[in-house]
Amino acid sequence: MAALIQLRGLVKGYTRGGETLRVLDKLDLDLEAGGFYALMGPSGSGKTTLLNLVGGLDRPDGGSIVVDGEDIAAMSGPELAEWRAEKVGFVFQGFNLIPVLTAQENVELPLLLTRLSRAQRKEHAKSALELVGLGDRRSHRPSQLSGGQEQRVAIARALVSDPMLVLADEPTGDLDRKSADDVLALLRLLNEKYGKTILMVTHDHAAAQQARTIVHLDKGGRLGRIEVVR
Amino acid sequence: MPPLHLVWRNLTKRKARFLLTAGSLAIAIFLLCLLRSLVVALDAGVKAAAADRLIVQSKVSLFVYLPQSYGPKIASVEGVERVMRWNWFGGYYQDPSNFFAQFACDQDELQAIYPEIQLVDGEWDDFLRDRKACIVGEATASKYGFKVGDSVPIIGALFPKTDGTTWDFRVAGIYKSIKKNVDDATLFFHYKYLENALDSGEGSGPAGVGIFVVKMAPGSDRTEVMSRIDALFEQGPQVVQTTTEAEFQAQFVSMIGNVPLFVSSIGGGVMVAILLAALNTMLMAAREQTRDIGVLKALGFGDGVVAGVLLWQSLALCACGGGAGILLAAATEDPVAKMLGTVFPGYEVTSATLWAAAGATLFVGLVAGVGPALRARGLSVIDALRRTG
Repeated sequence: MAALIQLRGLVKGYTRGGETLRVLDKLDLDLEAGGFYALMGPSGSGKTTLLNLVGGLDRPDGGSIVVDGEDIAAMSGPELAEWRAEKVGFVFQGFNLIPVLTAQENVELPLLLTRLSRAQRKEHAKSALELVGLGDRRSHRPSQLSGGQEQRVAIARALVSDPMLVLADEPTGDLDRKSADDVLALLRLLNEKYGKTILMVTHDHAAAQQARTIVHLDKGGRLGRIEVVR
Repeated sequence: MPPLHLVWRNLTKRKARFLLTAGSLAIAIFLLCLLRSLVVALDAGVKAAAADRLIVQSKVSLFVYLPQSYGPKIASVEGVERVMRWNWFGGYYQDPSNFFAQFACDQDELQAIYPEIQLVDGEWDDFLRDRKACIVGEATASKYGFKVGDSVPIIGALFPKTDGTTWDFRVAGIYKSIKKNVDDATLFFHYKYLENALDSGEGSGPAGVGIFVVKMAPGSDRTEVMSRIDALFEQGPQVVQTTTEAEFQAQFVSMIGNVPLFVSSIGGGVMVAILLAALNTMLMAAREQTRDIGVLKALGFGDGVVAGVLLWQSLALCACGGGAGILLAAATEDPVAKMLGTVFPGYEVTSATLWAAAGATLFVGLVAGVGPALRARGLSVIDALRRTG
């Protein structure tokens, strides 16, 4: 099967206090369509940096990132924004819902960038919230939801525009075990039932076991071993 | 176009801050309208001045009186059709705080020289027949409840009665001016009444004529008529200065200082204050919404749309506050005009003033919003998401 994501010679560094720290060092990696990958590694191994690069939130210093045949490293800012809206759904550790909007409105946000009518947007958002089990919490603001519910709303927002790729950065990091299990179950559902390719950064071994493949990154941003779980 | 429901929710998220900022904007814009309306009221007399009227005054000062003998001489000048004596009386009704202008003038000439003064109650003939009769502007009549037939006792400050009593006038008419060069707040009475009282010793005060108001004959050259009058008295005893009515009005306004400059300075200060208030609010809002900006960008919203969220917040904030101020200025036009009444006659909130206020509101909205908007536009997704609050 052709790789959905092809990383070749990926280099990324940050300059802090005049010193350049290389986070990713000539990383080569292929991730297949329909896979559920957990990215693990010690602090400073470049997990989140890699996720941000694959999601088009950041730009590499060198190398290429080809996703679904497109080199996103060569895209302009507006092209990249459009690409993100169409192809990627994000789930963040801190949920990152807009606090002044209701659950329904948060989920509708990505649909504002589509040609859907207002009624269609509402219907899609409603379906996404029902899928994550929050059909009865549509009019609640984030402050009126528990952490687990907030993350489920964030998942609904990530999937509502039907992206091919869902990127999750420590999605269970701020949750208790029960809520974390619910979120992981949802991610598995997205992968297994809806065929979404998922790349999840996690420190949690239990969470990583829910993925099909665990990609280990070593300190300094080098590729470690690749472990097939299921 | 940014999501407008997000713009509005962000704006009203902190209700107290929104209400306080919008409230201060409303008051400031109301003040701007008020100040501009005062300047407009002052300028109205200048703009509406008649082209065929001239004012002859002492070249030394408006407060130096001219000899009575100048009247017939001015009347004999080629191009002069009518001449009227005109003296500031400077009295008050019952109490010094009850201020309105009173002028002694040649009653036979008043209607012909000032056709804009039109009686809305009473009769000109009645005014002309009775030496103690007066006509009163409807603003003053309304303020003090004067009606035709009423007796109005005026205490002469500049021309006191020698026995300490009041000057008694009978209201023969209530007038309304159809042009803004004459206000609706003045009391006009017979020059003869003042003249006779001074001659008989019944009253005291400066002798002579304050100014002569000249109506030019149709077709006469204004500059030439002015030169002829000035030349007539070049050798004294009082050298005169003849001006157009517009110049005279402008000079009269400037006597109380450079009011437009003073008022504009206050207006400028108000503008700076509201700009800082709006800018402060928008900077706080932008800081609080940094993470939201990152989320929107991550979801695929373009830099321009994200910047628009903040710019529209600023514009909406100013529209709410400024709009309330504009509505307040328009709604309070009559009460404020009544309150200013005889002190500031001609107060009017013109549509030009309301448009200027709307322009000022838009300007504040743009200036307060553009900085935070540009910052949001330039912020990277990673940096924005990293912010914790």
